Formats: sequence, C-alpha cells, structure tokens
Amino acid sequence: MKLYNISLQSIRRRKSKTIFLLFGLILSVALVVMLITLSENINASVSQKLDEFGANIIITPKSEQLAINYGGLSIGDVSYNNSQLKEKDIARINSIKNSKNISTISPKLLEITDINGKKTVVAGIRFEDELRLKKWWRIKGKAPESESQILIGNNISAGRYININDSIKIKNEVFAVSGILDNTGSQDDDFVFMSLSSAQKLFNKPEAVSLIEISALCYDCPIEEIVAQTSSAVPAAKVTPIKQTIEAKMTAVHSFEHFSVGISLIILVISFLIVFANVNASVNERTREIGIFKSVGFRQMHILKIILFEILIISFLAGLVGYFIGIASAKFLLPHLSMFAANELFINPAVFWGTVLLSLFVSFTACIYPALKAAKLDPTVAFRYI
Amino acid sequence: MNLVEINQISKVYETGGEKVAAVNDVSLSLLNNEFITIMGESGSGKTTLLTILGGLCKPTSGKVIVDGLDIYSLSQNSLADFRKEYLGFVFQAFQLVPYLTVEENVMLPLAISDLTKKQKKEIVDSILEKVRIKDKLKRLINELSGGEQQRVAIARALVNDPLIILADEPTGNLDSKTSEEIINIFLSLVSESKTVVMVTHNKEYTRYATRSIELSDGKIIKENNISLSAITSPINV
Repeated sequence: MKLYNISLQSIRRRKSKTIFLLFGLILSVALVVMLITLSENINASVSQKLDEFGANIIITPKSEQLAINYGGLSIGDVSYNNSQLKEKDIARINSIKNSKNISTISPKLLEITDINGKKTVVAGIRFEDELRLKKWWRIKGKAPESESQILIGNNISAGRYININDSIKIKNEVFAVSGILDNTGSQDDDFVFMSLSSAQKLFNKPEAVSLIEISALCYDCPIEEIVAQTSSAVPAAKVTPIKQTIEAKMTAVHSFEHFSVGISLIILVISFLIVFANVNASVNERTREIGIFKSVGFRQMHILKIILFEILIISFLAGLVGYFIGIASAKFLLPHLSMFAANELFINPAVFWGTVLLSLFVSFTACIYPALKAAKLDPTVAFRYI
Repeated sequence: MNLVEINQISKVYETGGEKVAAVNDVSLSLLNNEFITIMGESGSGKTTLLTILGGLCKPTSGKVIVDGLDIYSLSQNSLADFRKEYLGFVFQAFQLVPYLTVEENVMLPLAISDLTKKQKKEIVDSILEKVRIKDKLKRLINELSGGEQQRVAIARALVNDPLIILADEPTGNLDSKTSEEIINIFLSLVSESKTVVMVTHNKEYTRYATRSIELSDGKIIKENNISLSAITSPINV
C-alpha cells in the first residue's frame, strides 16, 4: 500500500462525496468546452459568411503619377509606367500559398461609352462571381445568361426610361436588357453590366481587366499575408486591403468571442468555488482521519499528497468526461444556435489538452489552501475529534 | 536507562480568559517491559498526559525525553518520524479509517515506508494472526464488531514494531469478555519487551499492571509499583 492507494480507496468508497465533486467539475468543464467549441464554430462560420459578403481586397493596375508645375502653374498629374491587368493574373492569384482563403475573385473591365447620346460606364463582369460577391444585389427580371444580354443600374433605367426586354445599341452592337438592378446607393446604379468577354470584344481589349475584387476569408489568416502573397504573384498590380470592411468584420466576430470568454471565466470561477467549498468541507469532516494519519507518523507532506492526489484524480476524470460531454452538447446545440452553423463541427484538438490541464489547474489552486490547512492541522486539534 | 523521562511537564489551557492546568508539574519515568495504567476521574488529565507522551500535544513547560531524544525540540517532520518509529496508538473509539479494509487499516503506517509490497503483506499477515483477526482481512471496518475493530486498531499500532504502545481507554467501548482479551494482548506485548501505557477508568486492570498511576487535577496523586512476578497470569483468550 502506498499513499496513492489511500486516495484511490477514498475516491472509491466515499462515493457520494466523490460523485458530488465529480458532477460539479464535469458540469463546469462540459460548459466551458461547449462554449469554447460553439464560439469557435460560430465565429468561423459567421466570419466566413462575413468574408464572403463583399470584397475586402481590391487589385488595380500599378501606375506612377507625377504632379507637374510649369512656370509656377500647376498643370495637373501625369501618369506614367502604366501597367495592365490581364485575365491570366487571376490564375496567378489562385496559386498563392493562402489560395484556400480566397473565396471569390471578381474581375472587371470598366469602359466609358455613349449610350443614347450619354456617357455611360459599361462594366464587363463575370456574373456568377459578381453575384456571389454582392449578395445584396436585387434584380428585377434576371441576370444576363448570354453574351447579348445586359443588366442595367437603377439610375440608368429610371433616367433613360429603359425597361426589361428593351434593346440598347452600344457601339453598334444590340443588347437585350434582361434585368434591372434595384437601387444599391452605390456606383452600380449608374453602370451597365455585361459579361466580361462581351465587354472585351466590344471594346477590343482581349484579356484586359481594369480591376479585380477579391473576397478573402481572413478569419484564420491575417489579410496582410494574403495581400503580400498576391502582390508578389502579380507584380504589375497594386493590391489594397479594404481596411474598413475588414475591421467591421473582425469587430463583429470578436464581440462574440469576448462574450464566450467572459462566460467561460464565470464558469471557471464557479468551478473554483465548487472545488474549494468541497475540499474545505471535506477537510473539516476528515479532521479525525487526519488525526489518525498523524498518530501513525504521517508527515504534513504525506497528508498533503493524499488530499491533492485525490482531487487531481477526480479533476482529471472530470476533465476527460466533461470534454466529451461538452463536445457532444456543442454538436447537438450548434445547428439550433446559429443560422450560419456548419453541419460539420470543427473540434480544436488544443481544447482537449487545454480542458484537462485547466481542470487540473483550477482544482489544484482551489484545493491547495484547504489541503495545506489539513496537512498543518495541529495534532492537538485533530485529536480532540478522536 | 529509562525508556521515557517526563520532567516536570505542565499543560495549561486558556478557556474564557481562565487558565486551566490539564497536567500540572508531572514527572515520570518509564522502563522497558512495563505495563502502566493511568487512572483518574474524567478531566483529571489522563488523556492529555498520554498525548504529551505521544508527541501530539506540546506541553506548556517541561521536557519529554524518549530514548535520549527531547521530542518537543524536534522539527515537525522528525516528530512525525518519532511517532512512526517509537509509538503505537490505540484509542477508545478504535479510530480506524472507514473506507479502508482491515488489511489496509493495519497497513496504513507502512504506506510511508520503503518496504516492498510483499514485505508489507508478510508483516500485516503475522500481526493479524497475532491479534486473531486474519480471517477478516478484506472486510470493511463497519462490518466488524467492537472487539474486532479494537483488535484491528491494536494490529495497526503494532505494525511498525514500536517500543511503546499508548492506549487511551481501549476497553471503554467493549464488553468485559472482549476487554479481557484486549488486556491479554497487551500483556503478551509486554512479554515481548514492549512498554504499554494504558489510560483506564477500570481499577480491575491495575492488577495486570507493573505500575499504576492515579491522576487528579493534572497531578499524580498515587503511584503503585508492582513487581513483574506479581502480575496476574494472562487470561485465556
């Protein structure tokens, strides 16, 4: 028989005490694991949806500008070393290290032309990508399905009395209006949208792209890394993160994260108090037993070891069981808690070890004072109970 | 040489601002092979004297020298080691650990020894045989009668092979037949060179003792020395 045998027998044979402490700890651990797992999953899910919602990186051709003064008179800026973006640059962007973080790439060719005698911006886009990027677009009619169809902004429709199924002549080509964009409050209201290939043909700019919008999933990867990788993949491009969008997304994500951390901390404090109260009561109850241990020659360290070992075994078990209950609860609750929730529960392996260690740490810190109190119990006091 | 020297010890408690001397200037020497009974009314200081002797209650003044060691000058750890090596305690209410079996209770003092599992088992088996309770090895304490529990307590007190057995009213909760059996075990221990100090209310047991001490208000008021040859023969158990 060793000291740990005494702890094990105490755990085994003082069932009600053990079960009470175990239950309290399991409940706390399970709640913390459930909250952390739910928080991680919902964060990832919300973040992914937010990332998909609009572009957070914009790529434009690199150009340099020079402000010219002549005889003390400013004659404006002159651009030089203008580079061009090409469609093949998209393939390069798709080959960056963090390409898995890129949700949507939407290239655009912007040209100005006369339509019905008025200067109008024509945007050549890939409708599938653009619709994925701009989830807020609402179209009366339908998005173009062929090269001869176009989508027009609300201001174009209202200002020029153009309706769905009307035909418009652009640079001697006739296009049918398949849909009208509802008011977006942006520049899109003044644009005419056609397929990218149609625009390239119409303006005789094969392969040309004016700018590329990217929606990158930046939840688990800093946007700066994606920007740097894209810049080196397309040296002719100026890659700019849209900070405002990113900050707004991260604020939304982190506010939920902070809420979860706050709740977890409260649970940890409650667990701490459960263990403390339990061990403290147990020490008071076991004064007689401690007196027996002292009478047979146990040192303070021996008594401390018996109590600590007992609590650490219970905590370890609670950590294990609580972890699995927490994961199971998270799996059950996730679909009910978030409209964004993914079907597959993401389980962070670090949470397992973190949980077990945290359970041991909380129990250890909670029981160290009562355990020391027990070990240092004056034999005279202990023997009053004998 | 005396095994134990108690020099002018006093133990004063303060209750409600009043000082009460539980033990008052007591001096005593114990030899090997002695069976000493300490008698006295309730509150006369018997148990306090026993716990002072057992290194569990530091006297307010005076010294306790055991085998040349001034036990209250020792550190906490050394005092614990002293208890392990020199003393075995037997209490009126048995004081066994309820969640341990008979075997585990007896083995309790060996939990902190360096002996192997086999050695521990051999020691426990021989002692349980000696106190005639080997057949209840795996029983829990609450499954035993009072007499059986006291036998287990005695076995636990003997497992470290101590020189001194301190018994605080060990027969107080037992019937007369079982009490005699316990006294007989103590007598056999004395014959094996152990010293037994027993606190008791029962004057009957003084006839088995080599020395009988009577306390009143923390002072020794009577001390009878009886030669070993005069001790009544052991009772059949």
